[in-house]
Amino acid sequence: MTRLRIAIAGLTACSGCQLSLLNCEAELPALLEQVDFHFFPLACSPALLVGEYQAALVEGCLTMPHEQELLLALRQQSRYLIALGTCAAWGGVAALKNDEHREGLRQQVYGENQTAAVTFPPRPLHLLVPVDATVCGCPPEKEELLRLLGSLLRGALPSPIDYPVCSECRMRENLCLLTERNQLCLGPLTAGGCSARCPSQGVYCEGCRGPTAEPNLPEALEIYQQKGFDQATVLGRLRRFYPGWQP
Amino acid sequence: MSGGSKIDILTRVEGHGSVELIREGNRIVDARLQLHESPRLFEALLIGRRFDELAEIACRICSICSTVHKVVALQAVEQVLGVLVSRQTGLLRELAVQGGQIESHALHIFCLALPDYLGVGGFPGLAAVAPRELQRGLRIKSLGNLIQETIGGRAIHPFNLLIGGVGTAPTADQLQRLADELAAARADTAATIALVAGQQESLLPLPALPACAVAGGPPLFGDHLETATATVISAAAAIEWLNEQIEAHTHAKVSRFDGSSTFMVGPLARLTLNMPPDYADHVRNAPLSSSLLARAIELQQAVTRAALLVEQLMQDGLRPEQRELIAPRAGTGTALIEAPRGTLLHRYTLDQRGICTAANIITPTAINQAAMEQSLKALVAIMDGADYDQVKNTAERLIRCFDPCISCAVH
Repeated sequence: MTRLRIAIAGLTACSGCQLSLLNCEAELPALLEQVDFHFFPLACSPALLVGEYQAALVEGCLTMPHEQELLLALRQQSRYLIALGTCAAWGGVAALKNDEHREGLRQQVYGENQTAAVTFPPRPLHLLVPVDATVCGCPPEKEELLRLLGSLLRGALPSPIDYPVCSECRMRENLCLLTERNQLCLGPLTAGGCSARCPSQGVYCEGCRGPTAEPNLPEALEIYQQKGFDQATVLGRLRRFYPGWQP
Repeated sequence: MSGGSKIDILTRVEGHGSVELIREGNRIVDARLQLHESPRLFEALLIGRRFDELAEIACRICSICSTVHKVVALQAVEQVLGVLVSRQTGLLRELAVQGGQIESHALHIFCLALPDYLGVGGFPGLAAVAPRELQRGLRIKSLGNLIQETIGGRAIHPFNLLIGGVGTAPTADQLQRLADELAAARADTAATIALVAGQQESLLPLPALPACAVAGGPPLFGDHLETATATVISAAAAIEWLNEQIEAHTHAKVSRFDGSSTFMVGPLARLTLNMPPDYADHVRNAPLSSSLLARAIELQQAVTRAALLVEQLMQDGLRPEQRELIAPRAGTGTALIEAPRGTLLHRYTLDQRGICTAANIITPTAINQAAMEQSLKALVAIMDGADYDQVKNTAERLIRCFDPCISCAVH
């Protein structure tokens, strides 16, 4: 088998998706036999973007022109482009105030009279280039990254996850934090794939994986309302990772 | 086959930055560190959010440092709300922070820095020329992650650390596993110190800068800053003393200290201020390049400290704790902690409803910018006459001595 030649890049983000891959400590040595991490500036020198890649794995959202240029180059040079993590897929935490004026936010940090650090509102990758597959999560689960590389090694893409965190939570027979503990758990509306990591430890789902396929927001809002959470509070929480939630 | 290009960015560091060399004719006359990472504007994003959301959002500033961001944010918010945590919660948090220290230092030493010394491009090269060393590093790194995951629920962006306590406390079996693995890791950390101490340092012997670190608590924790110039700064006064300025060439604010001193933070600074007797000879009057050795020594200290914390937790016996209902109140809280790369500060102001009205976050790499800049200038002066690539490579290695975390710096 020829080695899988890949590019891994980070745009505006925390490097957590890339670090999740480096956190596969037990698997990394074996992965090296099958995967050529050709472009991976976080962990490898030099940053030489050359030739064709079987896949580009891109973390983070778009906020600056040079990121757009890099993403376009990666798209052009790669067979598959994978959105790695919630920022790449949905905008993520950086986008949580996309409904406010960017310049106003910038001035809150850098002051009114400064011209430093002008950026545009965070956008997910698919608004600029076609994305072939998405791995969600803030951060994604290590197993999902390994599955992704496994699929790519076979020339395929991982199948999308079409069930919410709530389904996985029930499979684990956890106590329901929303109905039985009156907590603002976002599991019903959030894409699964994490095996309900947080609710399984008694901590509400904060929605870090973005919206599940075909979420039933009106019904969920009704249940949240019954539990004492008004619409503004729920939407405020939901928009922490995906600014596009609309009632 | 499409064309390709070499991208002029710092590699093997977290985030986006570059070293710009300034030429006059054929001579390189100056060098500038540019942190062009895009700001996510966290301090603005946090305004309007409720007290219990702040640490959950703020830890997203950085993955490598997410546990320490989470803990320091919780401490600042708890200060405002008058929440006191139990001894058990205090020990668990301390252990989680030591786990982050272990993971971050192992990542830096084995994946980011060692390739410079062994003449390879990164961890794939290490797997070829030094497979046993890489395996050892990955073992230590994995232990740091196991600790963070056991306490925080996840190695990156720990969700189990909450205001006033934890979601679910670890079990006795989980602690026993940590105890066993920490005991086994001592041989690995000792070998790491020997490995790093045995490397030929080709970087020019640039002097270290005056040190600054958090003091007044258990290792890495405290309520004030201390410096090599015997200055003591309270947490409340630290923002003013760190004096962050906005400058054109970097998206991260730069600490411009009053007077003539430029301070550095991080492992070498911590060891300089608080010298472990066993290693005093290694780091006394050490040049900047010994920061890698300082990290290796701290790696061992972190493993030792973590083992002690696990032992204390096991002796106490873990019990489930009910977290108190928290009443919002208005006020400002400032917390300090030593992150792997140095001093980290979070300050939050809440209104009577517990909603954040102001946030200020100062990170080690932002503080270190002036030190990096000064060291770069010294390097350019010493290397006068060397060619562009030589200076560029050495400058990038120099910056790596500070293990910059640029997502943190810009946030």
